[in-house]
Amino acid sequence: MSADTGSPEPTSQESSRVAIGLSFGNSNSSIAYTTANEGKAEVIANEEGDRQIPSILSYVAGEEFQGTQAKAQIARNPRNTIAFFRDFLGKGFKDVDPSPCHASAHPVELDGGKSVGFEVQEHASEDEEGSSEPAKSTLSVSEVSTRHLRRLKQSASDYLGKSVNAAVITVPYDFTDEQKAALSKSAKEAGIEVLQFIPEPVSALLGHDAKVQQSGEQPQQHDRIILVADLGGTRSDVSVVASRGGMYTTLSTAHDYELGGSTLDKVLVEYAAKEFLKKNKTAKDPRGNERSLAKLTLEAESVRKALSLGASASFSIESLSDGIDFSLNVNRTRFELLGSKLFQSFTRLIESAVQKADLDILDVDTILLAGGASHTPKIAANVQSHFPSTTTIISPSTSSTAVNPSELTARGAAIQASLIQEFEHQDIEDSTEAVVTVTPHLSHAIGLVTGKEGSEEFAVIVEPDTPVPVRRTAQIPVAAGGDVLLRLAEGVREIKVSKAEKPGTNGTAGSDDDSDEDGSDDEPEEVRSKVLKPGKIIAEAGLKGVKKGGKVEVQVNVAADLGVTVVAREVGGKGGVRGVVEGTGAQQNGSAA
Amino acid sequence: MATIQLSATLPSLPSDWSAEKDFKPISHLSAPTSRAIEPVGPHFLAHARRKRHKRTFSEDER
Ligand SMILES: Nc1ncnc2c1ncn2[C@@H]1O[C@H](COP(=O)(O)OP(=O)(O)OP(=O)(O)O)[C@@H](O)[C@H]1O
Ligand SMILES: [Mg+2]
Repeated sequence: MSADTGSPEPTSQESSRVAIGLSFGNSNSSIAYTTANEGKAEVIANEEGDRQIPSILSYVAGEEFQGTQAKAQIARNPRNTIAFFRDFLGKGFKDVDPSPCHASAHPVELDGGKSVGFEVQEHASEDEEGSSEPAKSTLSVSEVSTRHLRRLKQSASDYLGKSVNAAVITVPYDFTDEQKAALSKSAKEAGIEVLQFIPEPVSALLGHDAKVQQSGEQPQQHDRIILVADLGGTRSDVSVVASRGGMYTTLSTAHDYELGGSTLDKVLVEYAAKEFLKKNKTAKDPRGNERSLAKLTLEAESVRKALSLGASASFSIESLSDGIDFSLNVNRTRFELLGSKLFQSFTRLIESAVQKADLDILDVDTILLAGGASHTPKIAANVQSHFPSTTTIISPSTSSTAVNPSELTARGAAIQASLIQEFEHQDIEDSTEAVVTVTPHLSHAIGLVTGKEGSEEFAVIVEPDTPVPVRRTAQIPVAAGGDVLLRLAEGVREIKVSKAEKPGTNGTAGSDDDSDEDGSDDEPEEVRSKVLKPGKIIAEAGLKGVKKGGKVEVQVNVAADLGVTVVAREVGGKGGVRGVVEGTGAQQNGSAA
Repeated sequence: MATIQLSATLPSLPSDWSAEKDFKPISHLSAPTSRAIEPVGPHFLAHARRKRHKRTFSEDER
């Protein structure tokens, strides 16, 4: 299949675009571009050297700070610091969860509750002494987003040496049209034309696949079921995707709006506060004071990040409470024990997405961990021990070639931006319309019946959930030669459960798999495996006179109307068989996902 | 897509098997499921082009 993007006629407007990929999270944002000669995606560092730029704005003495500098203001100047606002875009006040903002500026009602804003002291005092407080400003979420995006655009423009004016922006899978419209408007005000919104998990997958292809680790797109878990700061989102011939179809999604890195920070904050009180029996509880709590929370996050790489890390806070300094060493094992319930929640969320897709964990070929919290080794380890050994887990701690999970979504967006930046706006819109994207997908695998009568097996040529039209070619050796029967059938996936004898030494098997809940040691262990059986036979073809040690090639072409064309021949031989099974027209099962 | 390499044994053709041009259609594929392909990546763009211009794979390759 050719993958070039065609050559639309660039108009003058389109060719003057400078487009980037932009990931805008509640916690962090990232900007990425693709290199002109190699087409490689790279994440851009802002002037402070950050590639993950906290999505935070803070107003101090009439000056606006963004990113890491603004984040530091949460402890000093919380009410004038705006954080965790992305998910408020395009929503009414009653529909947002204000809890992530408890330590910073609190969201307020705007337009009679139709939207959300923040009240901050944006300007410095007018008079020299600063005695009279200037009026506060109420900034709508749209305005806050515009200011944040404008600064991201500026950082990207400074880095690239030309003025950025367009972007592909990533949004959660469940972002509504209203939210997209609001974000689009904010971007426009910031001087950014949104070329396309793409879902964060899909963007992460694109970023990953592009890297794998460029490094030559996997020269061809191969069909697989891939689960993307985007584990962020305040939320975690999971998508199960069928990757077929390089195209992605989302089979299910699952969301948890209260699970992420910040949730894990709270666990460390509780622990540290208790240790502080143990050592300082008469001191005030640092959790009871806003500033102390903010310091503790910021420090907890750095400790947690350090524990992703090192075996131990320390809290070190000057004047935490009652003027008392605080230091505490935490090792990774301690943190993993404290957080064990939460770590299991990540695994459960991931598993729930598999169930929603009507799949078994044995169907999942790859799990791609994206988002900042995916750096946490215990999350990856739990997922690895929960899933079968046939599932590859891609994360920094389980695969040495993994792309930094904090960068995946922005990189995918940059790649998409480079693919479409020359297209006319209408062209992009037309290509993303349902008439183009909504497609019949095979409900069963298509393949060949193999093996002896009575113990038939099934060899897959086209995977289930593949969009049609599709064409696949397979080769199969015929050691004995002679006349062979090609029986094209649909495949049925079964999960076989068999009891395996426990290895001799009882109990010392030492699996520290904490997802293994049945403690009954004397029962034989269940071994689950995936088997494919032939189902409905579609067609038969007879291929005669195959050479000893020869090879048969079968090409299966399924048209949009589900008509099947089969071409079978001996590799290097003459002639062959060609046949057609008529299509059934357009009747389809109801849509999933 | 690369050619898929299968390693299994094909049954031999029963001596009483016969069909016109050695091909026998037996049944239709099961009804498909309608789903949306994500409009992202180079392979999707190729799909969109084929669909919008109503071209087949081989026409697309010409
Ligand atoms: N090395 C690391 N180890 C552990 N956690 C990390 C690491 N780096 C970043 N994180 C955590 O990842 C989270 C941020 O993730 P990400 O940058 O993906 O945010 P986001 O998508 O903006 O978040 P949100 O879910 O709030 O929208 C933070 O909780 C941060 O502490
Ligand atoms: Mg995110």
